[in-house]
Amino acid sequence: MMSGQSKNISFDALVVGGGIAGGEAALNLASTGFKVLLVEKELSIGGKMIMLSKVFPTLDCAACITTPKVSEISRHPNITIYTGSEVGNINKIAENNFEATIIRKPRYVVIEDCTACQLCEQACPVSVPDQYQYNLVGRKAAFIPFSIASPKAAAIDIDNCILCGACEKVCPTNCIDFTQETEEIQISVKTVILATGFKLFDPLLMPRYGFGLFKNVITSMQMERELAPTRPFNTVLRPGDGKVPDKIAYVLCTGSRDASIGNPICSQICCMYSIKQSQLLMGALPMADVTIYYLNIRSFGKGFEEFYQQAKGMGVNFVKGKIGKIRETENGNGNLILRYEDINEGIVKEAEHDMVILSVGVLPNQDASGFFPKEELKLDPYKFIYQADSLISPARTSIDGVFVAGTASGPMDIPDSILSAGSASAEAISYLIQE
Amino acid sequence: MEIEKGKTFKCLRDKREVPQVVKDQLKEFNRIKKGMLDALKETDQTIDQLTQKLNMPKPEVVYYLMSLIKYGFVQTGEVDDMDEYFTYKLKK
Ligand SMILES: Cc1cc2nc3c(=O)[nH]c(=O)nc-3n(C[C@H](O)[C@H](O)[C@H](O)COP(=O)(O)OP(=O)(O)OC[C@H]3O[C@@H](n4cnc5c(N)ncnc54)[C@H](O)[C@@H]3O)c2cc1C
Ligand code: SF4
Ligand code: SF4
Repeated sequence: MMSGQSKNISFDALVVGGGIAGGEAALNLASTGFKVLLVEKELSIGGKMIMLSKVFPTLDCAACITTPKVSEISRHPNITIYTGSEVGNINKIAENNFEATIIRKPRYVVIEDCTACQLCEQACPVSVPDQYQYNLVGRKAAFIPFSIASPKAAAIDIDNCILCGACEKVCPTNCIDFTQETEEIQISVKTVILATGFKLFDPLLMPRYGFGLFKNVITSMQMERELAPTRPFNTVLRPGDGKVPDKIAYVLCTGSRDASIGNPICSQICCMYSIKQSQLLMGALPMADVTIYYLNIRSFGKGFEEFYQQAKGMGVNFVKGKIGKIRETENGNGNLILRYEDINEGIVKEAEHDMVILSVGVLPNQDASGFFPKEELKLDPYKFIYQADSLISPARTSIDGVFVAGTASGPMDIPDSILSAGSASAEAISYLIQE
Repeated sequence: MEIEKGKTFKCLRDKREVPQVVKDQLKEFNRIKKGMLDALKETDQTIDQLTQKLNMPKPEVVYYLMSLIKYGFVQTGEVDDMDEYFTYKLKK
């Protein structure tokens, strides 16, 4: 359903993607006095970072860092945020003159009037997998995406709604509105920042690791959720049978550095986030054994090598081994046998663990390549956004006036995403003032 | 036609049919929810006991039980002597 309504609004900058990189770039522009439209396709800004437990190498609580940042972005008078929205297209008319179409999907809730009281959630009879808990638990069709979401407002999952009206009946502010329709909004901007982030490797593409088939094989993002304060379970549990695990394995480079699945490059973050999670697991489950199977540990950043040594000191077991196959034990206890090549000894070995975490890699999000019907937004050989001058001017793309921030240009961690956003906003500001 | 606030769902009902699969999923959830809550009414249960009682795969028991905890129907009880498995009970 399209309302056909078409507004025409002007901003100085359009930032696409409301993760930490897009949010930081928007804040920098807004604080310098420029008007920014931040377009985010999810129901909340914050990207992957807002879903994390703690961050390496400082082990600061991710929510404690993200929440103030996200609220600063949301409250800034120069930033307009459209969540649940996507870019239809962007046309460059001339230098400092872009026209874009934004598609705003209906949330069926008037954000400004929602008090996040959760009465609609309680009344809704429907339960479906919660995408924000990476399907470990259910959520309602009327739901607040997660407790630190921004905006913290309910939304209706219309695809799973049975239109019973229970949510609307209990809503104290009458802010649920099923008459909302998709809006197409025309905007004019002078510059564009692409901060569409990255995708996670889908381990279903590597059937030999058994993800999907063996329920105690999970992804690193699912483990992030299990370790977060807003976790799906009361503690770390195996999704296969609710057991508290005590012999946990990490498989590094799942979907990275592997030309056979089309991703030959290093994801740059998996070594460190796995080492982080191993330390958090040792804290949460003091009796647990944690083993990390790795090809090489890439601890290249500030404080990373010390962080790696700290994990070793805590008793995390590091095995230089290439995993060939994962299978379940035959006695039905849900444990897993990892068959691997011990690289140091050059022999094939097997080890039993009761939970396996696949440290899934970073893949490009190619959405932005479809934004520009008349210009060519070049991608690099690995399909990340091409940096036209990666040494001298790393935020420049193949289109003048369009800049890239964060993991949209390649794998990187949070501090580097913030640095990259700083560079993109500085270059965008200098482009704006050359007008 | 004036659309009454608080009853706007009716207007979408005229325009949109609820897919059969969504109705079936709701039926399935209600069936499992009733089974779990009835079992827990009798006595506190482990996931293993619920699996046998409801004749369901264990991963599904975990998923639905954890959802019922989230929705406020069930709470986590004690862990066993090996610190491995919890019991679960109705939330009073
Ligand atoms: C398991 C795991 C653990 C990690 N732990 C750490 C850690 O401890 N420390 C650390 O430094 N880093 C960590 N990272 C890396 C960190 O998540 C990234 O560095 C950071 O999230 C990158 O931010 P970003 O804004 O570039 O991308 P993203 O977080 O991917 O944000 C991109 C945003 O753009 C939106 N978007 C995408 N496409 C569109 C579109 N077409 N239109 C509109 N919006 C769109 C997305 O919905 C998203 O909100 C971890 C990553 C993973 C997977
Ligand atoms: S109308 Fe839809 S969202 Fe609202 S309570 Fe019913 S099923 Fe849930
Ligand atoms: S939509 Fe209404 S009932 Fe639901 S959280 Fe918002 S104010 Fe509460």
